[in-house]
Amino acid sequence: MESVNELEALYNAAATTAVSTNGDEMANASDDAAPPVAKPARKKSAAKKATARKTKTKRARRAPRSARQTLHAQAQAESVLDDLPDVQAELENNPELQKRNQALGEELLHELEMAIKRVMRLSPAYKTKLAVPEGMQEAIDANLDAVTASAGGGSLLKRFQKLLPGEMIDTDTLKGMWTMLKFTGEYQVDVLKRRLKGDYDTDEWGMDQEFIDAVRPLFDFMYNRYWRVSMAGLENVPDDGRALLVSNHSGQLPLDGAMIGIGILQHHPASRMMRALYANWFPTLPFVSDILTKAGQVMANDENAERLLTQDHLVAVFPEGYKGVGKLYKDRYHLARFGRGGFVRVALKAKAPMIPVAVVGAEETYISLHKSQTLAKLIGFPYFPISPTFPWLGPLGLIPLPTKWYIDIGEPIPTDQYPDGSENNLMLISQLTDQVRDTVQNMLNDRLRQRKSIFMG
Amino acid sequence: MANERIILVTGAAGYWGNRVATRLLDQDDAHVIGIDDTTPQHTVDGLDFIQADLRNPLLVELLQEEQVETVIHLKFRETLTPSESSFEQNVMGTAKLLGACGEAGVARVILKSSQMVYGARPDNPMFMREDHPFNGNKKYGYVRDWIEIEKYADSFHEQHPETVMTVLRFGNIVGPKADTPMTRFLREEEAITLLGFDPMIQIIHEDDVVSALVHAAADDYPGAFNVAPEKGMPLWKALGLATKLPIPILHPFAYWSVSLGGPRLAPLPLDYLRFPCMGDMQRMRDVLQFTPQYTPEETVREFSAQQRVRKLLGKKSRETFEQDRLRDTIQRRKRLRERGGGPKRARRAAQAE
Repeated sequence: MESVNELEALYNAAATTAVSTNGDEMANASDDAAPPVAKPARKKSAAKKATARKTKTKRARRAPRSARQTLHAQAQAESVLDDLPDVQAELENNPELQKRNQALGEELLHELEMAIKRVMRLSPAYKTKLAVPEGMQEAIDANLDAVTASAGGGSLLKRFQKLLPGEMIDTDTLKGMWTMLKFTGEYQVDVLKRRLKGDYDTDEWGMDQEFIDAVRPLFDFMYNRYWRVSMAGLENVPDDGRALLVSNHSGQLPLDGAMIGIGILQHHPASRMMRALYANWFPTLPFVSDILTKAGQVMANDENAERLLTQDHLVAVFPEGYKGVGKLYKDRYHLARFGRGGFVRVALKAKAPMIPVAVVGAEETYISLHKSQTLAKLIGFPYFPISPTFPWLGPLGLIPLPTKWYIDIGEPIPTDQYPDGSENNLMLISQLTDQVRDTVQNMLNDRLRQRKSIFMG
Repeated sequence: MANERIILVTGAAGYWGNRVATRLLDQDDAHVIGIDDTTPQHTVDGLDFIQADLRNPLLVELLQEEQVETVIHLKFRETLTPSESSFEQNVMGTAKLLGACGEAGVARVILKSSQMVYGARPDNPMFMREDHPFNGNKKYGYVRDWIEIEKYADSFHEQHPETVMTVLRFGNIVGPKADTPMTRFLREEEAITLLGFDPMIQIIHEDDVVSALVHAAADDYPGAFNVAPEKGMPLWKALGLATKLPIPILHPFAYWSVSLGGPRLAPLPLDYLRFPCMGDMQRMRDVLQFTPQYTPEETVREFSAQQRVRKLLGKKSRETFEQDRLRDTIQRRKRLRERGGGPKRARRAAQAE
């Protein structure tokens, strides 16, 4: 059993160094631990069992390097979580399981022996990976490649389906999960520490790219899976230069703006960052003001809109305001008054094209039956919706319905043909306001005519 | 000495008066008269110091006799709570001084003010132009005094259009030596912040403040100017750079406790910790033609390094901070060289360094 001794040494080396994060120390440690140390039999069998369990789910068909990495990761897990006595005891009491494990273990040991020999022959200077998230990530990526290349996605899925509940909660799965959680946690703490030292950057409006990257997965999920948004007319959004998106507003919470922004980020060839303008009630709310600013949104007023447009940003406005977002269910898809046409004034001044946007599906995410004036006044909200679930179910009532969303982007309405100073022409402003409003209403009607189901589209 | 410029600096015994007078005296063609009601602690070589109160009716005679061309008004007492004595000194002193300047036919008057006069409000534009109304919270002594002074300056400008009136509204001034609301806020052991609010703030270095005042005295720049580096930073980032752990407090509770304990509890009005109050720097760039040399990050880093050195941390950390400071200085000088045709005064100052 020379190979076993060798493995043992390798295992010990990995286990001792898993706690340290220094690569050089790790290399030294593996050199020091080269002569095999006699170990109690129980430990050896535990290691064997552990490795055997791994083969059960992933089979021993993988590249030599990844095998060694798996062993390494295994050792890390071992060091992190020493024992889960109940499952171990059960393993020892069940002779059939032991027998099966032994057979599998021996199969893997053979494989590993071959693998180690091959690695040593190929690259004598090979060093173990660092025990950091990046290293883990690499190891996992390599393993995933090996699995999909040999076994294919379909059979992998079948294998997962065949897993018994008892096997799902075995030691290795838990250890693996714990290791991943620990590393994620440590990584997050590092980021937090750095940010607390003030080592991050924002643009002049306070947009924080790190923050956006952190929250984007949630919004991507809402966009792709939850509301299954289908976006049309993206070719109407210019690749660069200023433009003003004018959209209807609905859904009690201003999530439609976020979805338009995510859609343009995901699908537009230039992947532009949209800056939505929000109403002046939001900056008075704790966290809301902070989150909106960090996500690159800007308080809605003429000065801000004009500055953003002259800086050639893609700006989105919701001229319906509270009247639109707090609409009752019976009034859905009836556009409210488009403000006082301030958005047209700004577009004329900055000579930015106005792009009408129609969002269908957001109206049905919350079913507002009544707006309570008294409650709204009491807590200082501009409106307080009463729905079948809110406020009766508390925070649960805030969960939106998984409707199917459509976002249609219409053809741009140019504003550069009007002479300078047209922003003071009240006739032109009201005319253009009505034109944009009618366009959005027509786009809504077109989409509603085609839509067969609220939830399936 | 025929074309000698005669400049009168009020508040010459104070920090800003001292700094500005020193910088003015470095210029060959300036004769600087300092005026204050107390004797200066640090004497400035070559400063023609006169001990007098600004509210003295004989000030007109002094201005006429000495043929003062430019007045830089820096006498200002910063008090948190509105008090009658500070109002008397700040606002009435300015009113009397402006009256005397009009009477004596002074060519230029330069006032130092703050962007706090715009007030921090939820419906503020992110970058406020100089014509934005003064909505500052008058519960705070210095904010109220600044607003009143600005109002006097406005009416003075209407009555005496021949006098060039320059008002410099600075962002939050931070520096190793200056004592301003922002440095007091950053110097505290615990930085009280409002939970869930992180407004953008503009930070200007004390040296840039002095440079801007000296720059404004060199030529005619009528009107008000916001002066600060264009790019702001989130408040929490400033706290992080100053290695202060922010202590977030729910805002209704914070307002309530401040109203109970008086504004003394918080060195900065709470509104400024809640909503952004930043100035648009277009006029500073195009009309005043002044560019601050320090970035906000450099300013806060230098400030916090000095704070830590003051607390006598170990030798090693002091060296690190010295390194940081030198790196910032090298970067700043490099930027200045790259700009080449930057402001005359700044270039000369860089050469003097």
